[in-house]
Amino acid sequence: MKIVLTVNGERHRVEVEPRRTLADALREDLGLTGTHLGCEHGVCGACTVIVDGLPARACLMFAVQADGAAVETVEGLAAEDGTLHPLQEAFSRCHGLQCGACTPGMLMTAAHLLDTEPAPDRARIRAEMAGNICRCTGYVGIVDAVEEAAAGRGDP
Amino acid sequence: MTGDHRPASGTPVRRKEDARLLTGRGRYVSDLALPRMRHVAFVRSPLAHGRITGIDTDGALAVDGVTAVFTGEHPALASVALRALSALPGYVETDQPPLARDKVRFAGEAVAAVVADDRYLAEDGAEAVVVDYEPLTPTVCAWDAGITDPVHDEAPDNLLLSRTFTAGDVDDALAGAHVVVDRDLTTNRHGGNPIECRAGVARYEAADRRLTFWSGTQVPHLVRTQLAELLDLPEGNIRVIAPDVGGGFGVKAVLYPEDVALCLMAMATPGIPLKWVEDRVEHLLAATHARDHRYVLRAGFAADGELLAVRADVWCNVGAYSVYPWTAGIEPLMAGGLLTGPYKLAHYACTVRGVTTNTSPSGPYRGVARPATVFAMEALLDSGARALDMDPIALRRRNLILPADVPYRMPSRLVDDSGAYEACLDRAVAMFDLAGWRAEQGRRRKVGGRPLGIGVGIYNELTGLGRAASAGPRMPFRTGHDACTVRINPDGAVTVFSGVTSQGQGLETTMAQVVADALGVDYDAVDVRIGDTDSSLWGFGAFSSRQAVIGGGAAHLAGADVRAKALALAGALCEVDVSDLDLRAGQVHVRGQEKPVIALAEVAEVAYLRSDRLPEGFEPGLESTKFYDPIRGAFAAGVQIAALEFDPATGEIGILDWVCVEDAGRIVHPVIVAGQVAGSIAQGIGGAMYEHLVYDEDGNLSTGTLLDYLMPTAGEIPELRIGHVCTEGANPTHVRGVGEGGTLAPNAVVAGALLDALGVEVDDLPVTPARVWELVSP
Repeated sequence: MKIVLTVNGERHRVEVEPRRTLADALREDLGLTGTHLGCEHGVCGACTVIVDGLPARACLMFAVQADGAAVETVEGLAAEDGTLHPLQEAFSRCHGLQCGACTPGMLMTAAHLLDTEPAPDRARIRAEMAGNICRCTGYVGIVDAVEEAAAGRGDP
Repeated sequence: MTGDHRPASGTPVRRKEDARLLTGRGRYVSDLALPRMRHVAFVRSPLAHGRITGIDTDGALAVDGVTAVFTGEHPALASVALRALSALPGYVETDQPPLARDKVRFAGEAVAAVVADDRYLAEDGAEAVVVDYEPLTPTVCAWDAGITDPVHDEAPDNLLLSRTFTAGDVDDALAGAHVVVDRDLTTNRHGGNPIECRAGVARYEAADRRLTFWSGTQVPHLVRTQLAELLDLPEGNIRVIAPDVGGGFGVKAVLYPEDVALCLMAMATPGIPLKWVEDRVEHLLAATHARDHRYVLRAGFAADGELLAVRADVWCNVGAYSVYPWTAGIEPLMAGGLLTGPYKLAHYACTVRGVTTNTSPSGPYRGVARPATVFAMEALLDSGARALDMDPIALRRRNLILPADVPYRMPSRLVDDSGAYEACLDRAVAMFDLAGWRAEQGRRRKVGGRPLGIGVGIYNELTGLGRAASAGPRMPFRTGHDACTVRINPDGAVTVFSGVTSQGQGLETTMAQVVADALGVDYDAVDVRIGDTDSSLWGFGAFSSRQAVIGGGAAHLAGADVRAKALALAGALCEVDVSDLDLRAGQVHVRGQEKPVIALAEVAEVAYLRSDRLPEGFEPGLESTKFYDPIRGAFAAGVQIAALEFDPATGEIGILDWVCVEDAGRIVHPVIVAGQVAGSIAQGIGGAMYEHLVYDEDGNLSTGTLLDYLMPTAGEIPELRIGHVCTEGANPTHVRGVGEGGTLAPNAVVAGALLDALGVEVDDLPVTPARVWELVSP
């Protein structure tokens, strides 16, 4: 099937089988390998992207369901000149990532949180980020980073 | 490169990895796409134990897009077996085929592999492969099962190894003990579960017989050596590349049958790269598991609390195969060697056994056996404290190895060089506010409220193993050394080719810090290349918390050597005595003088491009390669202490505070070190409270998805408070390893807190709300 979707502001026409997941379409058809796959059954959250303003598990969505949608992925977070998003800055400063496998999903989940709730406290951050599994950090650095970015101290 | 040189070590410099990993530009094997690449899906056994009576691949080959189907009998694979070698007396060596031959030994074992144009088609093909089995009786439990059909014919009793550690006279010491306590403990099978599962791409070029294997491995050089043997290729013709790797934790320190099958299949399809990316269901089924143990224990104490003797019988379920190359001894021998932990003990008798069963093979997982042994040892101390009516922390203090005792020869004959346990305990108790929590505990007991318990775990972590205690049981190689090459480029910047590998530990950053300081250049001037056997000379890779110690040692030595070469050349060029020269921030100075005499960049330019200016006796080029090969490792001390509350009505467990103090020696990157400690505690808490790989009696894995196998999230892991003490390690960078220690205590801490709160001893893990409820319900 032919679909049209906008990814990080750029329109793409893609030919996909109906069974192809959005994650595979992003990674393999569009070459956007920043979106990671950790479980392919919707639990770990590594593949979280923003679809029409809402976080979604790209492993649980078919690409055809994104026909006509606007998708945001980790590749779209930094500014075009390379300036990192405040969350990316904060994740680096607070050591909110180690191996980087969960990081794209963490960043997209956190970006949606801060877009919708500018000043979440630590308990709220933990609750909202609890849909994403990180195996490296023990979450301390991740919660620190989201809190720091929320406080506006994440600007370079 | 101007200005004063500030040491990079000890400061939280920005990680070199972060820019790419934060922007979706990581280079993981899972991301790799090559021209003409095809994809592999494995057909896996649904049975735990059975004979293969037939495999029909016709249906799979008829699937559009499927190009090949391989089975264990395919000529490309039929003669190859992974056979972990051990010279341990009595060790029963067994073969593991790349794809099952004749019989399957665990549910999830790869039986066939389908090659297709994409992964979807490969999985279509895998579904169409028909395998006929004749079921055999499976063995699932390693200690209380009658054996109908042995897993391997070579081991009719399923026993692959046993070893007895002895010191002193345990019977005599127990007879003289004031109190004797017994415990019978089992620990829960769980696994590493990195967020990126296993992945590999293999490409073979027939014209020059070269194999390139991109693999998410923790041990690329070992993989190269093993592949050379298994594939019958010259080792120099094999290149193993481990680019960015999405977590490892030991699971990726093994060469798997799927890896070997992928390479053999690639050799059978020259010029066509083959890619396999494991999915999570496969990972839970067939990547290595760990920690499925039983400990039958007896300990004797004197009236003043002195630990007099420990007797232990240990069974480790090693699964269906000896993991390659570590052998089935990896967990049992570690269990017996380090059971006594940070405690002085003269009388010790411990028999460990590695028992093969029809379950996924057990392999290295962060902390290897010691989360279980620390649970066992601390359970003995907690039981002993109750029997003696002593404070559990006071009893521990009575028995710790102290600075005056080191080097301390443990009853297993390992030599502990730490002695920092009491210092860690003092700091942890102070940070934790033990008095405050005891007061709160008393208050709740008086006025009501959820019962509160305090749990303690003290551990020693053998890090950076040297020659004397190299990892693994008498394998045909010793894992004590690593190499590093430090090259000053013609422009004066520095490229480091290190044998270390990274699965999130930030080794590019740590190696750059070490080299920057050893050489005398800025951190930003150093670029580090790791994970490619064509660029670095040698490294054993990531295990045993060894890389900061061993790889860091090699980086320091190579950096210092190339510094000496650069200064010698600078001295000759400037006609200054080299002993008067200093190199800092990339500038060569006469000591005490602010103005540099020559820039490192100019020295490098001469070394490479201006042989006309090279003084007599100097060869072109500016680099050094050094090995670090210590005799002993560096023991690291750690203490965790936490307050937990329990709801007797529901079993619900709340973590109120969790403190950890470790001795990391001199700290290279404080934030990375804290991150290693926090991450390993989180995995330890996962094992203590949530994670359990459960087989039913037929050998079916009943926790085969992340809906059943629970890894803790930000909602479960509490705020962790981490402190440090520093006793410098006897190695070039004075560090001690920190990669694993955090995993060691949470079992003991949670079980100890439950005992302290409600007076019940828990003998099995994980400590879940359901288990708490069972234990406290009448």
